[in-house]
Amino acid sequence: MTAVLEASIVEQLVAAIAPVLGEANVLTSKTARYSRARVPAPFPVHRWAERVPDLVVLPGSTEEVAHVVRVANEFGVPIVPRDGGTGLTDGAVPERRGIVVDVKRMNLIHEIDLENRTATVGVGISMLKLNEVLAQHGLIYPDNPASYPCSLVGGRIGTSGWSLIGSRYGHSRDLVLSFDMVTPTGDIIFVGDGGGRKISKSSSGYQLKHLFMGHQGTLGIATTATLKLYPKAEAEFSAFWAFDDYDVAYKAVGALARAGIATFAGAVLFDEKKVEYLRRDDEAYIPQPESVKALVCSVGYGNSDEVAAGGRRMMRIARDLGARYMGDEISQGDWASRHDRYATPVHGRTLSGQVALMSWHCEDAAINYTDLPAVTREWHAIVEKLRRKHDVFDDWGMFAYTSSDTGVDYLTEIDIGIWEEKLDDTTWAAFVDAKREIAAVSLKYGGSISACHGSCREGEVDLVPQELGGGYDVMLAVKRALDPNNIMNPGKYGLDRAYDNEGDRR
Amino acid sequence: MTSFRYQDEYTTPPARQITPTTIERFEHVFEVDPSLMTDNVAQQVFPNWDTKRIVAARWDHLAWIHTHFADSVISGEELLRSLDD
Ligand SMILES: Cc1cc2nc3c(=O)[nH]c(=O)nc-3n(C[C@H](O)[C@H](O)[C@H](O)COP(=O)(O)OP(=O)(O)OC[C@H]3O[C@@H](n4cnc5c(N)ncnc54)[C@H](O)[C@@H]3O)c2cc1C
Repeated sequence: MTAVLEASIVEQLVAAIAPVLGEANVLTSKTARYSRARVPAPFPVHRWAERVPDLVVLPGSTEEVAHVVRVANEFGVPIVPRDGGTGLTDGAVPERRGIVVDVKRMNLIHEIDLENRTATVGVGISMLKLNEVLAQHGLIYPDNPASYPCSLVGGRIGTSGWSLIGSRYGHSRDLVLSFDMVTPTGDIIFVGDGGGRKISKSSSGYQLKHLFMGHQGTLGIATTATLKLYPKAEAEFSAFWAFDDYDVAYKAVGALARAGIATFAGAVLFDEKKVEYLRRDDEAYIPQPESVKALVCSVGYGNSDEVAAGGRRMMRIARDLGARYMGDEISQGDWASRHDRYATPVHGRTLSGQVALMSWHCEDAAINYTDLPAVTREWHAIVEKLRRKHDVFDDWGMFAYTSSDTGVDYLTEIDIGIWEEKLDDTTWAAFVDAKREIAAVSLKYGGSISACHGSCREGEVDLVPQELGGGYDVMLAVKRALDPNNIMNPGKYGLDRAYDNEGDRR
Repeated sequence: MTSFRYQDEYTTPPARQITPTTIERFEHVFEVDPSLMTDNVAQQVFPNWDTKRIVAARWDHLAWIHTHFADSVISGEELLRSLDD
């Protein structure tokens, strides 16, 4: 555990930063610091105090961010970028304390280019707020995670996020064209596809944009981003179908994803455990007959005529496989619930069936279509074992969700309810072991540990070197080269290994 | 007058068992069977209007999400019927 900074050092940091950011934007109060110590991913709350930052700063410009980073280097103090704070792999958690750089104040729309279809924004803006403005121009920025109302553009860059309609519009890495960022030594650089701000494809030089997305704040802080815009869709189509068994539903989701429908935006498979879970509390599924064992959802966006033609084809594919359409009310309502259905139940069941307040944990591997049934079986077995041993966990079922328009791989998600208040060191250790086993299954089947959130948490992070092989050594070399003092979000991804003095405060 | 309304709001309609673990008091509003909420959670006392308000607000929210992402929603029921035409 990292010790808190001495008060005199905090005072010196404040004295160095406040003249540039303004006193109101340098926060040392307990509430300001404690509320930026965690993210929604469940953790043993009795350890909250171990990860509280020494101070919080709210810069208003790229230059102000650069100033803070330079000060942090001078003092050798850790620095952690934080945006919406919704990341689920503890990326924004200040594991070594230090300075949290909360970028939410940089939330302006600097430019909307109607001809080239781009928007340039401060990274503290949410997609929802941006889209309210873009709608006035008939445009949309279609990065649509389940955390759409509360995650922000900088966090999407920091995690290289996954979008629910990514099979149609691409994910954050496709939608962010370029950005300004501050490197770990306090230099300001521009990163894009080649040199231009509004270029979607360049072959000039190394492809640095990918390197500087998804690094979980370990390689710098993005400040201003230029985003790719689409026409706001004339029409949306979403269909939910019920199946008597998982195998047929599995076939159907594959057929829908492989159909080559241009307006196809995503298809989701809900397994038996997910249906069981929904039957407990979800008004759409409580009254469903027992014969409903699995579900598939498929979605399209675009121009009305094209969406109708694509939707018709989807309906035919599903019907030919024996699917039962669940009706417009469920199909439309459930799709519109996509931003809160995962996280808001806030309760689960103990083994006796009693309700307990539980938080949502989500594993999010990328798995090929052909391996989904095996991974589903093995993951449930791991969670069942955990649950039988410690009655503070609950299996909330699994989704498999297309990541691309060809159906090659799926965001494969097992949702686990965790009675966070009851987590002690023993149950936490058991959970971490289960996470490691879950990650090992993903790798055994040639998948990736994470499709959306990143893989920094205890348990999964141990297997990242195994997943990336020689690529992990390149990560270490890049980290060492760009962050010689190991100040930028230290402790994440096991990157301390890049330094001789592994585990030092810095 | 006030006390009459108060009583009205705090008297819930009789529950109908929908599944072994859920009940229904208002049409299409399902609730976890209160017998499952005895050991670990305390139940809040809720006026009837608040239950109805939450349900209505949910519908408002879903409608808002649709229009936020697209100008119209295509009906699957109609597409299904058109397959047989
Ligand atoms: C209910 C719920 C649903 C979710 N659904 C999805 C989903 O569908 N798809 C998905 O991809 N994710 C999902 N997530 C996870 C999370 O929302 C995403 O990872 C999101 O991209 C995080 O954004 P944020 O603004 O909250 O970032 P934060 O949590 O603040 O930060 C995330 C990471 O990025 C770094 N970072 C923050 N700002 C910057 C910056 N300016 N420059 C560089 N690095 C930075 C942080 O250090 C951290 O490592 C979900 C989370 C919740 C709670």
